[in-house]
Amino acid sequence: MAKIIVVTSGKGGVGKTTTSASLAIGFANRGFKTAVIDFDIGLRNLDLIMGCERRVVYDFVNVIRKEATLNQALIKDKHNKDLSILPASQTRDKDALTTEGVGEVLEELSKTFDYIVCDSPAGIERGAQLAMYYADHAVVVTNPEVSSVRDSDRMLGLLSSKTKRSEEGRDPIKEHLLLTRYCPKRVTRGDMLSLADVNEILAIPLLGVIPESQAVLRASNSGTPVILDQESDAGQAYQDAISRFLGEDVPFRFIEEEKANWLKRMFRFKEKEATA
Amino acid sequence: MAVSTRSSFQLKTSFLPCTILQLNRYDLSVLENEIRKTISQAPMFFAGAPVVIDLEKVQDLEGIDFLEMKRLLISNGLVPIGVRGGSETQTKAAGNAALPLLNLSKTTTVVENKKPVEEPEAQVSSTTRFINTPIRSGMQIYAKDGDLIVAAQVSPGAELMADGNIHIYGALRGRAMAGVKGNTEARIFCQTLDAELVSIAGYYLTKEEIQKLPEQNSMIQIYLENDQVTIKPI
Repeated sequence: MAKIIVVTSGKGGVGKTTTSASLAIGFANRGFKTAVIDFDIGLRNLDLIMGCERRVVYDFVNVIRKEATLNQALIKDKHNKDLSILPASQTRDKDALTTEGVGEVLEELSKTFDYIVCDSPAGIERGAQLAMYYADHAVVVTNPEVSSVRDSDRMLGLLSSKTKRSEEGRDPIKEHLLLTRYCPKRVTRGDMLSLADVNEILAIPLLGVIPESQAVLRASNSGTPVILDQESDAGQAYQDAISRFLGEDVPFRFIEEEKANWLKRMFRFKEKEATA
Repeated sequence: MAVSTRSSFQLKTSFLPCTILQLNRYDLSVLENEIRKTISQAPMFFAGAPVVIDLEKVQDLEGIDFLEMKRLLISNGLVPIGVRGGSETQTKAAGNAALPLLNLSKTTTVVENKKPVEEPEAQVSSTTRFINTPIRSGMQIYAKDGDLIVAAQVSPGAELMADGNIHIYGALRGRAMAGVKGNTEARIFCQTLDAELVSIAGYYLTKEEIQKLPEQNSMIQIYLENDQVTIKPI
């Protein structure tokens, strides 16, 4: 039976799609057959981040409306054959999704895949609620910033009440916190909420801390998810998160401000040169 | 076209409900502030409400500016229709401001400063609602006819209500309203107080008014003392 994971946040622009893409590739690279679905109908982005936008023919809405079969709509990832992408429709809106339709698609995917990653749209309306409805796990993406934390908190409330699991009285969804765009330096300066601050309010298990990184924007624009950038801190942090999800005990990195020695400073200089 | 043979109007006697504004003191700026506060609690209830100004408690006072008072009430969405219980000079002054003397029976709603709008009888706690998962932003929990016990934290943007007491074994960062049906004996208990609002029987303190307590390990209790919401460590 496949595990259904929803990547959600409430607030927009915190890194849901980046996270969905990286988690999906992470699972596939560890040998699991993985599907990733873009639930953001009308604002199709996942295909860009995954670099498959030129191969989109049919989409999620076509499948729900039975205008295409699931196999016709699924796009095989160019990096890993175990990964498939179900893109969103750019021309419709979120009302095109139905609870039954989504349920049927997920059930069919469950037959062949080990992990199904659902990339939720922002907000708390229909699209976001459908993305989480059938989930077994929820990865709540949060930025270290008050409004994002509050929205995530709201999302956690919905996860415990507006899902199939809660309606049927089964075990609740497993919640995981993924803190993104974390910058220890700004935490020390007091500009940013610390990991402890966020933990105090949300109080759910921490899956990972992704540092603020130049690599993320570069990865998005080139259509190669940042987890594939093994050199980058963000890529490594996503790898760690995957390991933790699979039950490994991995220490947290990139949460303390680095004491820069002269060698590191040299490297940093070089890094700047490279990105300039 | 049939023309009605009946007259264009009829005179009838009727008793309409109306709100009495009983003045305890005469200070227009204070009055305006307090009226605003009261109305903000139930804007729909007061919108366009006819109001009779009761002068009984300020009978000895002279120089009440009825025109200004009228303007003040109207600007707050109330409709002053007259006065009652005033001295002769007051009644005359009011008449000059087009506020006639009305002799209404005394069993009407009294709107007094800082008092909750409705005062139903106090409820006795009989049932307890227990919750041991975090109360997240946007969630609303109501314990009807009894106490509410939360063995977890209450996030900012969450709302707890109980007819009885509220006990929180965790941090209170949202809103907590105890004795919502008017039980002034109700109390709120919590481990850490960082609430957006606390209220007992309709008397409330907002975040700005909640005094910062020094860090300590004991529980905090919130209760009503002389119509004042009081916060004290246990």
